Order: sequence, then C-alpha cells, then structure tokens
Amino acid sequence: MKTRILGFAALLAVAAATVNGLFIVPADLNQGDAQRIMYPHVASAWLAYLSFGVTAMAGIGYLVRRDLRLDAIALAGAEVGVMFTAFAIWGGMMWGRPVWGVFWQWEDPRLTTTALLLALYAGYLLFRRLTDDPHRRAARAAVVGLIAAIDIPIVHFSVIWWRGLHQGPTIGDPSKILNPSAPPLFVLALMGMLAAFTLVWGYLMIRRYQLARTEWQIEEHGRLGRISAARRSFITESITEEAAP
Amino acid sequence: MSEVWFVIAGYGVIVGGLAAYTLALGRRLSRARQASLRIRGEVESATTADVGE
Repeated sequence: MKTRILGFAALLAVAAATVNGLFIVPADLNQGDAQRIMYPHVASAWLAYLSFGVTAMAGIGYLVRRDLRLDAIALAGAEVGVMFTAFAIWGGMMWGRPVWGVFWQWEDPRLTTTALLLALYAGYLLFRRLTDDPHRRAARAAVVGLIAAIDIPIVHFSVIWWRGLHQGPTIGDPSKILNPSAPPLFVLALMGMLAAFTLVWGYLMIRRYQLARTEWQIEEHGRLGRISAARRSFITESITEEAAP
Repeated sequence: MSEVWFVIAGYGVIVGGLAAYTLALGRRLSRARQASLRIRGEVESATTADVGE
C-alpha cells in the first residue's frame, strides 16, 4: 500500500515537473526552448549515478554478508540505472543537436565515458544470465558491478579533467552549490524534476527488488520441484526393479 | 527542424519511457507472483506425495 502511494506521488510529481519544465519556466535567452531538455537530462544522469552507486554498495554488502537480498538490490540498481543512463544520453542528444549542431561526438570524454557506463551495466545484466546458481551469480555480479563502478567518477569528473564539447558543472561542483551558473528559476525547475524523478526511482527500485525476490523464489521452488521429481522417479524405478522376477 | 521538435522528442522518450518501463515492470511482477504461487502449490503437493510414498 505504501509503495502504491509512493507510485501515485511519483506520477503526480513527474506530471507537475514536466508541465513546469515545458510550459511554465521561460526559455533560455541563448539556447531557446532546447534548454528545457536539460531538466530531465540532468535528473536522469544523477539518478543513473545513484543507481550504479547502490549496485556497487549492495555488491560489497553481498560479498561481506552473503545475503541474497543485497544481490536483489544490486540487480534493481543496475536495471534502473541502465534505463536512466539511456534517458540521459537520449536527452543529451536531443539537446546537443540544436545547441552544438551534432547529436554525438566520440571525441568528447563525457559522452564517451557515459556510453561506456551504459555498455558496462548492460553487460552486467547480461553477465548475470550466465549462471543459475544464485550465490555464484551474486558473487560474480558483485565483482563485475564494482569494476564497472570505477567509471562513475570518471564520467562525473571527465568535464573537469579533460576538454570537450560538454560544459562543466553548473551546480554539481562544490563551489557552485550556493552560487550556480544558471538563473534560480532554472535551478528550481531542475531541482523539481530531480525530486520527481527521485520519487519514480524509489518506486521502481522497490518494484524491481520485489521482482528479483519473486524470481529467486520461483528458481528455488523449481529446484525443489526437480529434486522432488527426481526422487519420485528413483523410488518408482526401485520398486519396478524389486518387483521384477 | 525546429528545436521544439527536439524538446518534444526528448521529453516524449524520457517521460514515455519511464511510464512504459513502470507498466512493464508491474506486469512482470504480477506474472512472477502468479507463477511463484502456482509453482509453490505444485511443489507442496509433490512433497506431500513424497511423504505419502
């Protein structure tokens, strides 16, 4: 019931933030209406970081405690994170074409490392399908998730470390938190979108975690069923052999 | 192409994608829960049969 309330709140918040971003906040003087794409683009990128951070932390937790619930959290973070990374890339492309003149540029470190992040966690999800043993799968996935997490700070600091098309931090830099290089109205719209997307993120994480737990139960029951069937088959064969002259 | 179309495409895919993923996730969860209940029932009946044997 609480999760449903969260889902409903998330729906209302996204609707309000979308209407605000599209129709209420004024267009930027230089970028025009294209600036409006920044709100879902930046919010998606931040939630992608958060998701993969959760995957890495849950992976460490699993390696320490061997608790499959932590593996379910790691899986939820990876799947939701892949989706938000894809949205961040898409939003960036839709903004880049009218403002930069190109959808994509491989020479840009932020773009390339973000594409790598998407590939790494898509690979993480595929890698999980290689084995049916839940503990072996969780341990291997935790290691892969931790290796992939190395790319998160590289993506974030790429705009500071290297030069490229992508602009530097607007508010993400500690020196700019109290003095962002964007008008307060734009920053408020961004914060509104981030809050709305965070509610959706929370709802999706809970639902994906529940799905992972249910899928694990199905696997467990399937295993028990196979053991039971094998046992019955063995008993039937033994009885047949004993009854034979 | 006007930049408005890029804005529509940007929001359409992101907000629409969020909605589609949420619905798909809900459906996957519902199907998984039904399957879990069905399999649990089958396993319990098989285990009972084992005990009977």
